[in-house]
Amino acid sequence: MRYALLVQGAPYSHQAAHSALRFAEALIARSHRLETVFFYHDGVYNAQRLATPPQDEPQLVDAWCRLHHEHGTALLVCVAAALRRGVVDERESRRHGKQGHSLESPFELTGVGQLVEAAMTHDRLITFSP
Amino acid sequence: MLLHLLNRSAASSHVYRDALRAMAEDDCLLLTEDGVYSALMPLAEHFSAVYGRLFALREDLASRGLEGRCAEQIVIVDMEGFVQLTEDADRVVSWF
Repeated sequence: MRYALLVQGAPYSHQAAHSALRFAEALIARSHRLETVFFYHDGVYNAQRLATPPQDEPQLVDAWCRLHHEHGTALLVCVAAALRRGVVDERESRRHGKQGHSLESPFELTGVGQLVEAAMTHDRLITFSP
Repeated sequence: MLLHLLNRSAASSHVYRDALRAMAEDDCLLLTEDGVYSALMPLAEHFSAVYGRLFALREDLASRGLEGRCAEQIVIVDMEGFVQLTEDADRVVSWF
């Protein structure tokens, strides 16, 4: 089956992101396809490329990236939620006259329409919220 | 059939009432995260209407030191069981 996950919790402050990741690994182990993870609300903090957690703690950002590289999972980040929280890619940073950027590939900024599309085109959409 | 996910304890949130009210006769309910506190008596009694289709996630029980203390009416599933429940359901609804 084709799965999409909606993650609305920030990493390291609520369990939502961790639960979503555990579920992602389990569904892949059962031979399903995780095609999309959509990060919304505080979930956009999962896409912070500068996140540097202690080495003996779960590396959530790396784990999301690994899903993309090993399983082709699209990592979609709501642009409206992200810009508000200072999670910007190079293009948006330039457009708004900021210095530096905090989001980069394989995460991509998208509109919330992509979430609606994921709900319609995937077999299952599971929400992980704080 | 819908699968409902509940990640709040009945001791700290009343959202479980909305979830139970919304459940159809053949829907299932999986307790996750802090929701697993409701797998213990006396909180589990709030869920008597859905005994037999009430589940709790093993790793969330274990991480809270609650394994082995669940009410016997509750079916404990691991992460693979969680995925299986989502396979069997037409849709999944999260309550939080």
